[in-house]
Amino acid sequence: MILNIAKKEWKLLLKEKGTFFWLLGMPIMFIVLFGSVFGIASSSSVTLPYIDMDHTPTSQSFLKTVGDKSGYKLEAHQSEGMQDQIDKIRDGKGTALLIIPQGFEQSVKKGDGNPISLELYREATSDSVIAPFRAVLENLANGYRETKINNALAESGQTKEAREQVLAAPFTIKDRMENGSGYNVITQVVPGYTVMFVFFVIISMLKRFLGDKESGMTARLRSTRMSPMSYLLGMWLSYLVITLIQCTVLLTFGHLVYDLQLGDLFAICVLVFMLAVCGTGIGLAISMLVRSDNQGMAFTQLLTMGGAVLGGLWFPVDLMPKTIQTISHFTPQYWAQKAFQDIMLRGVHISGIVNSLLVLAIIAALGLIVALVRYKRFLRTALG
Amino acid sequence: MTKNTIEVNQLAKSYGSKQALNNISFKVREGSCFGLLGPNGAGKSTTMKILSGLLDADTGTVSMFGQGIRKAGNAVKDRLGYVPQSITLYEKLSAYDNLQFFGEMYGVQSASLKRRIGEVLEQVGLADRAKDAITTFSGGMKRRVNIAAALLHRPKLIIMDEPTVGIDPQSRNHIFEMIRTLKNDGVTILYSTHYMEEVEALCDDLTIIDHGQVIAQGELIEVLDRFGTQAVYLELQDGQRPPSLPGSGAPAQKGRGWLLETTNPLSILSQWAQACQSASLQVKQLEIVRPTLEAVFLSLTGTTLRDN
Repeated sequence: MILNIAKKEWKLLLKEKGTFFWLLGMPIMFIVLFGSVFGIASSSSVTLPYIDMDHTPTSQSFLKTVGDKSGYKLEAHQSEGMQDQIDKIRDGKGTALLIIPQGFEQSVKKGDGNPISLELYREATSDSVIAPFRAVLENLANGYRETKINNALAESGQTKEAREQVLAAPFTIKDRMENGSGYNVITQVVPGYTVMFVFFVIISMLKRFLGDKESGMTARLRSTRMSPMSYLLGMWLSYLVITLIQCTVLLTFGHLVYDLQLGDLFAICVLVFMLAVCGTGIGLAISMLVRSDNQGMAFTQLLTMGGAVLGGLWFPVDLMPKTIQTISHFTPQYWAQKAFQDIMLRGVHISGIVNSLLVLAIIAALGLIVALVRYKRFLRTALG
Repeated sequence: MTKNTIEVNQLAKSYGSKQALNNISFKVREGSCFGLLGPNGAGKSTTMKILSGLLDADTGTVSMFGQGIRKAGNAVKDRLGYVPQSITLYEKLSAYDNLQFFGEMYGVQSASLKRRIGEVLEQVGLADRAKDAITTFSGGMKRRVNIAAALLHRPKLIIMDEPTVGIDPQSRNHIFEMIRTLKNDGVTILYSTHYMEEVEALCDDLTIIDHGQVIAQGELIEVLDRFGTQAVYLELQDGQRPPSLPGSGAPAQKGRGWLLETTNPLSILSQWAQACQSASLQVKQLEIVRPTLEAVFLSLTGTTLRDN
């Protein structure tokens, strides 16, 4: 009986193309869109115009080094077009303009204590774009300064060892990645949107439960051999399986298209199962709690969108204020995303995600308990 | 001795302060078509839901096939088909898929279900539309599938709650024929409606309820005889008034003619015929009119059923 109800539900879902869009089309679209946007932002260069008024080997060499180190693509402009470029920045149509003044080579070589100024025109809102570029310029200026000191020390008769000792920095930074080297935007986006869209299954569940109630189907089925519990379990089973398929498709898509490293597959399977139980458990609870479609949609939007932001599905939780980080611990999305990243990035196995699984199980159990408690009332209103 | 398929005894149900049913009792004979007649809001659907096991009564008892419906559980459900007033089908699924689902819910074995679906679709005249989605069906066709869903497990009793609301005459006739066939096959039918002519056309026995109370019940002919008044109808050429008859009341206009209620229709018929002949009036129609349920309802409640 339970399986027959689930079978009917799968047939219905296959006829409802909108469900596919919500459960598979939309998340894949989001993964592709945000994967591309953030992927491009982190890997490709931004074009910055410059005007070299010095036209010397030193200025050319300097610009090449800036380009290589910053990753920005530098675009040469003639000095006659300087005002146009500045106007563009003023009008918000350009980001920045670097000007190497005449006498740059001479100033670098002479080093007489009167440094020449490079001019960096920039648009007021371009801080985040220009900051890395500016850091590279300052770094290069420091490099030139060190060369100048080194030359001065050499001229004063200091040995190479002595000069190196003087110029050596008091500390160095060693970058040690402790938790895997696979982090990229995809390891954020794929599990993030998988978790987010799992909770969209609530909309489908809500529509079916309320639809059956409104149409009199729930009442009619009571006149058959079907027990009330079979109905609840059958519906739950159908959406549980759908959610499992949804997660499998999305993670496989991430793996095949973006080379997402899934880590321990057994751990991933257990996590996906628990996430599906959690999402559908909440779906059952909301379907039994709400009195109308609109009320249910409001609940669901709050849970899916609010949970996505708070749970760190769109961007890492660490970027959020401390209070919000604390609140995020109360969302199932946080624990699911954390567990996915623990497995995919940090290489942990099932034992490493026990806490996350436990929290998801507790939320699922709460959802199921609420659904069971409210089910009698749901039936009463359906039969009344 | 005639067996009763349903015995309802002192059934009462209220929703908050509203008394939907007030101690109604009736019996449905095995193999009969029983009409439950009453205006909207009379308590018909509440009665149907209680009998179908969807609602619990506040007080009173219902027994079906000699068993209390609550205690009997599936033993009664296996022999009962319920056709609700609303069309409860999944619009996007085909007629076949809908029937398959209901068949499974009624516990029809999968080996025989396919054949049975074919049979009931044939019965409701939609065998050629089995694979079409319900959403492509007319209102009448949907009603027929709605009934078919209650026939899959070969029930011995079918409860139909206003199964012909809002359908075309063709589908209505099809449903009537189907009900007659089912009755001939020995199936007991409990038919709820507010269309009096349907009860007159289909039912052997009836109960009329109004405001949750039984106001008349018994065999259809007996109820008509007991509560209805016979009348004579006369229609003259050019809509002329009929000649008055000494000792009889004034006739009431009905359509293009006149209706005179009487306890002695043959005498009135004869008097009117003679009077028209004497006055050289051209008679278009002169007949004894059989009492109707509409007249019964009017005489019992002072209102017509449709006014309600």
